[in-house]
Amino acid sequence: MSATTTAAAPVDTSPATRRHPGALAPLRWEIRKLRAQYRAKAVLIGALVLPVIVVVVIQGQSRPPKDTLFGRFATDNGFALSLLVLGFAAQWVLPLLTAVVAGDIFASEDQHGTWKTVLTRSTSRAQLFWAKTLTACGFAVIVLAVLATSTIVSSVLIVGHQPLTGLSGQTIPAAEALRLVAASWATMLPAMLGFTCLAILLSVWSRNPAVGIAAPVVIGMVMQLVGALGGVEAIRPFLLTTPFEAWHGLFADPRFTGPLTEGLITSAAWCAVCLGAAFVMLRRRDITGG
Amino acid sequence: MRRTILVILAALVAVIALGSAVVATSGDTSTVTRPRLERSLTTNFANQYADQARIQGRRITPASLHAKAMCDKAGAENNDVGPGGDWNCLMSWTDPEVPMPPEGYGKFELNVHSNDCYTVGSPSKLTGFLTMTDAEGREVTNPVFEFDGCFDPNGDNTPTGVVFPSLLAVASTTITPDAHGNAGVQLTCGSGAKGCAGTIAVTAGDTKLGTMPFHLAEESTQTLQLPAPVPDGAAEVTFTVQMSTGVGPPKPVTLPVQGS
Repeated sequence: MSATTTAAAPVDTSPATRRHPGALAPLRWEIRKLRAQYRAKAVLIGALVLPVIVVVVIQGQSRPPKDTLFGRFATDNGFALSLLVLGFAAQWVLPLLTAVVAGDIFASEDQHGTWKTVLTRSTSRAQLFWAKTLTACGFAVIVLAVLATSTIVSSVLIVGHQPLTGLSGQTIPAAEALRLVAASWATMLPAMLGFTCLAILLSVWSRNPAVGIAAPVVIGMVMQLVGALGGVEAIRPFLLTTPFEAWHGLFADPRFTGPLTEGLITSAAWCAVCLGAAFVMLRRRDITGG
Repeated sequence: MRRTILVILAALVAVIALGSAVVATSGDTSTVTRPRLERSLTTNFANQYADQARIQGRRITPASLHAKAMCDKAGAENNDVGPGGDWNCLMSWTDPEVPMPPEGYGKFELNVHSNDCYTVGSPSKLTGFLTMTDAEGREVTNPVFEFDGCFDPNGDNTPTGVVFPSLLAVASTTITPDAHGNAGVQLTCGSGAKGCAGTIAVTAGDTKLGTMPFHLAEESTQTLQLPAPVPDGAAEVTFTVQMSTGVGPPKPVTLPVQGS
């Protein structure tokens, strides 16, 4: 972590140009800090390389993993395999990937004792908050895009692009299957940003990067467990992990998108609540030490 | 760190309390319902079956099968709502080359998850085993043997009105009389609309032993005492079933007498 690179901030002299760089400068610093971070680079490289390994290993299995949706076609259909990886990633990989940056981005300032340093620059707490939030969300988008592209490209190239059997038994031609698989990966974004916001809240509140990174993954797994229980289905719509399963509707015939809309609302609500709480906490915090 | 752990624990307790409160105040709010499952299963099955026929080199359209299903969760007395591995569906369809059994349907076993997806196990008597031979003689996976599906949680929830009768079967394989010649016979009544009722005429060789009335709830088993002792030296007992509710064996059932 190279939080001290903020010392290289540009020095503004004329009052006329002061406002504009003031709004964007914190964002530039945050992105620069992120680009220097070894951990973020490792996550991106992992998202690029690991799916290829997973695809090769699953393709080599003699028995397909039938207990997961699309698993029974995974060894001889590339689209099914990328959907199998999607189902697995949604269980804990996606929350982890985003939390690696989002759970650390506020807490690392505590860890390095650099809050006072960054706040004595001509930037407000609000500006800094939004700069860090945008950086974390941007990283989530990039890491999801890398993981999705790597999975889809490797499974289609290694396993093939045969027509896919959908969730109503219908046959989906290869071109449409590719579109639907890409769309399914894209529908992970709202819930993933929801986890980003949750990680930000935990990062601000705990002031501890370990909590910020691990707790969202654990909370995600608890929500997954609660969502799979038979008797408590009434709380399913409120769980942040439910939108991760909304893509099923794209592969049914007729297609249904109700869960996607509900998932968008759920994710937005989680994000709003978490960011609101994090913002209030940061604004009211007494930063004197460090 | 202690503060952190305490707050995480408090949050977990709050989530569980909230969950329990929601569960306590709401009844059967599950999106997994019988009509949705019946509609989804018939569409899914018809597509899979047409796919199987295509692999065999036959031409069948999904619509020509006229698949109809009646689903039931965990016996007669439970509500047909909610996820679980205890869903059974009775389904009939029309394929000129594969006639339905006398009761007119096959029994499918479903494992339904809370995320509105399910896995179906098909009756292999009617749909074949895990692998099948395709038109060119190769061993391929049978698409109907086991398949997955998902249904719309906001989909049509009006009852489909499909009803199939329960199937009565004689479960005993032998008749074992006691010292006085008294014996019992075990009957089972499968999934279906209203259970099984009717009478059974019992004969041992040429001797008429009388008739026994029976009334079974669906998915239940019952042992009936034969109306008269089995005569000494009788080798077989024959049961002729007359159904008033449900369907029974079309031909008389003959069981050997043990210990004669």
